[in-house]
Amino acid sequence: MAMLQRRILKSTLEEAKARFNFNWYPILSPCASFSTLPSSSTTATAHDHVPPHLPPFDYQPKPYNGPSADEILAKRKRFLGPSLFYYYQKPLNIVEGKMQYLYDESGRRYLDAFAGIVTVSCGHCHPEILNAIVEQSKLLQHATTIYLHHAIADFAEALAFKMPGNLKVVYFVNSGSEANELAMLMARLYTGSLGMISLRNAYHGGSSSTIGLTALNTWKYPIPEGEIHHVMNPDPFRGVFGSDATRYAKEVQDHIEYGTSGKVAGFIAETIQGVGGAVELAPGYLKQVYDIVRKAGGVCIADEVQTGFGRTGSHYWGFETQGVIPDIVTMAKGIGNGLPLGAVVTTPEIASVMAQKIQFNTFGGNPVCSAGGLAVLRVIDKEKRQAHCADVGSHLIGRLRSLQDKHDIIGDVRGRGLMVGIELVTDRKEKTPAKAETAILFEKMRELGVLVGKGGLHGNVFRIKPPMCFSKDDADFLVDALDYAMSKL
Amino acid sequence: MQRFTPARRLLSEFKCSLRRQRRCFSQVAPNVVDNNDGFGPKIPSFDYSPPPYTGPSADEILSKRKEYLSPAMFTLYSKPLNIVDGRMQYLFDDKGRRYLDAFGGIATVCCGHCHPDVVEAIVNQTKRLQHSTILYLNHAIADFAEALANKLPGNLKVVFFTNSGTEANELAMMIARLYTGCHDIISVRNAYHGNASGTMGATAQSIWKFNVIQSGVHHAVNPDPYRGVFGSDGEKYARDVEDLIQFGTSGNIAGFISEAIQGVGGIIELAPGYLPAVYSTIKKAGGLCIADEVQAGFARTGSLFWGFENHGVVPDIVTMAKGIGNGIPLGAVVTTPEIAAVLTRRSYFNTFGGNPVCTTAGLAVLKVIEKEKLQENAFVVGTYLKERLTALKDKYELIGDVRGRGLMLGVELVSDEKLKTPAKLETLHIMDQMKEMGVLVGKGGFYGNVFRITPPLCFTKEDADFLVDAMDHIIARM
Repeated sequence: MAMLQRRILKSTLEEAKARFNFNWYPILSPCASFSTLPSSSTTATAHDHVPPHLPPFDYQPKPYNGPSADEILAKRKRFLGPSLFYYYQKPLNIVEGKMQYLYDESGRRYLDAFAGIVTVSCGHCHPEILNAIVEQSKLLQHATTIYLHHAIADFAEALAFKMPGNLKVVYFVNSGSEANELAMLMARLYTGSLGMISLRNAYHGGSSSTIGLTALNTWKYPIPEGEIHHVMNPDPFRGVFGSDATRYAKEVQDHIEYGTSGKVAGFIAETIQGVGGAVELAPGYLKQVYDIVRKAGGVCIADEVQTGFGRTGSHYWGFETQGVIPDIVTMAKGIGNGLPLGAVVTTPEIASVMAQKIQFNTFGGNPVCSAGGLAVLRVIDKEKRQAHCADVGSHLIGRLRSLQDKHDIIGDVRGRGLMVGIELVTDRKEKTPAKAETAILFEKMRELGVLVGKGGLHGNVFRIKPPMCFSKDDADFLVDALDYAMSKL
Repeated sequence: MQRFTPARRLLSEFKCSLRRQRRCFSQVAPNVVDNNDGFGPKIPSFDYSPPPYTGPSADEILSKRKEYLSPAMFTLYSKPLNIVDGRMQYLFDDKGRRYLDAFGGIATVCCGHCHPDVVEAIVNQTKRLQHSTILYLNHAIADFAEALANKLPGNLKVVFFTNSGTEANELAMMIARLYTGCHDIISVRNAYHGNASGTMGATAQSIWKFNVIQSGVHHAVNPDPYRGVFGSDGEKYARDVEDLIQFGTSGNIAGFISEAIQGVGGIIELAPGYLPAVYSTIKKAGGLCIADEVQAGFARTGSLFWGFENHGVVPDIVTMAKGIGNGIPLGAVVTTPEIAAVLTRRSYFNTFGGNPVCTTAGLAVLKVIEKEKLQENAFVVGTYLKERLTALKDKYELIGDVRGRGLMLGVELVSDEKLKTPAKLETLHIMDQMKEMGVLVGKGGFYGNVFRITPPLCFTKEDADFLVDAMDHIIARM
């Protein structure tokens, strides 16, 4: 009898062990591939058993009495078309935001680690920016630049002061796409050449022309693009030349010498590719390429839509991290903390070609957006957001690198300041993108209260680009949540 | 503000009567102030005082603009106006002087500057959530899309939000090209559709077209009742579109885009019968019909909500901006579910498009238009204004044509009624003088000789009288 009891006890224990064993192959949610993961050989930490908690935050969202998520989703499907996609299998109804946090319809708080795609730079409903917007909206929303107004002039001046070299003529538009369209027009007019060069894996916009510059098939409709050359991406993680900038730069030279008349209109690049998965260009790349492009008569355009405004921590502008001064700089997203605003800054010389004809933007530079933009610049300076990004960013990256040692699924941790990417792979040698796992972890993070972004051509990169008021506690929470989610995979 | 003594009034009157015989463009009427007892028509009374302005002066702003903004950026008037405050159909300069805004920030402010309902909606939403993108749900975009779709006929009920008219037209052109698999698009000479690469091609006035590649666009003869070679015979003009297709393309095209009333082109209403004939031709060639409602939409034409409705057609794609948000940066493309599906082939994404604040404002605008019966007002006041302007045309040879519909009106000035020689200088002069008298109008037309009158739709009959009286007063003294 005792032996039977012992046998039963033993089998029960073994069963229990099997259930909680880290070598367990779980039934994953219905996804394309069912890759199995190597077991983590390290010992379990406290984070693996207990889900981490959001840092405290002294704010109560207003009660929400509007339509439910299901009602909204039904309306979206009917009136916004099937092409309008959304995150998460059960989409999130976000009704309120405060600094680095967002609230859903039930009042639950989430850490916003994506900032509405790197757009809410100072923080949701930041009081100073809110005040500027509200006060100006009460006075004058719109009159256009055919009349004078101080807001556009003051903002242009403040923006120009942030720029190096002779970059001081500002054009205001309403989005990043509009800004890059204008930059491309300027380049072609100024040089009299047609050919534009952009990097594979880049994203520069969704309009019919900027689709040409964008180099990720997900976003490219089959339409004529004009003369655009997509050069090899100086991707330190996946690129064939690793971090060897010179070899990548030579490729640009080849494109020009073999694929063009020898003269080009211009070159455009993000310093850290955003949509492409937080890929930081190999160090020294831009310096060499700018040289090559200028020798071919072209102008150099820096797309600062995501990297600008102190986000990289070490510098105010992304291009500064590569030690170059572009001829044209485009910006949007964070420029207005969420206001529909974009800008192009260039030299008086290049701007003068635009004076041949009339180019007018009805909404561009309107008083409200200009007031908001100016408030953003002030907040970034006053609250020392750039230094903060450097500080919190390095802490975050440090912790993520430790996490990389613990979990094999993390293939790469990269970025600078608060523009960080985590690339997930199922095989560290082959660097096989861990698409399914990324999707699962993405959902899990949401459940734990962290909203991250996703990117990369294979959708296997987490993009961590929060409002720049993100704290070290927030960073810890994010990493702990990721640790927890990965341990449960 | 200046005040005038009776003596000065007599003196200036005397000076003016001397000048009446001469054709010169010196200062004419004295400044008309808000509640003056001076000479000339008076601006209707209005119960609002703007807060005092303590910001930079006009000169300071001008010098900053010269240094930090585009060298091509222009201002109206010989002495540019520093506009700091707006309320309904009035604007205020830095000295607190009130002006009648007969241009509406280029047909953009439809409900009225800082309309309380719209401002409240904007402020409340801004305090809650400015931006999160459509990656997450939010009711504002869904509610506004529904309300907008309900305003459109036929199966036009899928909405894409953008941030401007240019973005909307660019998207519409791309959709048409993708849907049909063809590249050729036909637009109308003198049209304005935007300033980006595709829309610059569709835009058809050399002053707006840079020397860059603009492929796949053909420009049809403008069905201009005033200057066009076929007068008001819409069908005759439509034959040009047929010829363009038969001789200039493979026979199949992506589509046709036009404004119902050309805005930048000088308030030219397409000749009657044109659009129905052209739409039929386009459909036979497999193309889509795009109606650019950026200026004519949102009740401005008075008789109907959309400009294209006045022509008795139903387009395949409708684009809108400007008035849609009373001045907030917002644009939209509305089409059928069938056509909208082409964008599912890849991903189209607009970061700011459809954000909670702009869509909340858009919904507030639709509600105000309905609640305050602005469409009816545009019809009543617009008709009245057009009648008065037509009477003015009979009085002065300088006025060659008065046209338009509702509160989208144009007054074309010519120095020779028969030859229709554009009176460019006179237009500039009168415009400047109108501003001195307290009326802000717009300018347009290929020759820059057309007054564009596109005020906020809360414009009243008294405002109309003031505008016409001021114009009368100025022209009489030329």
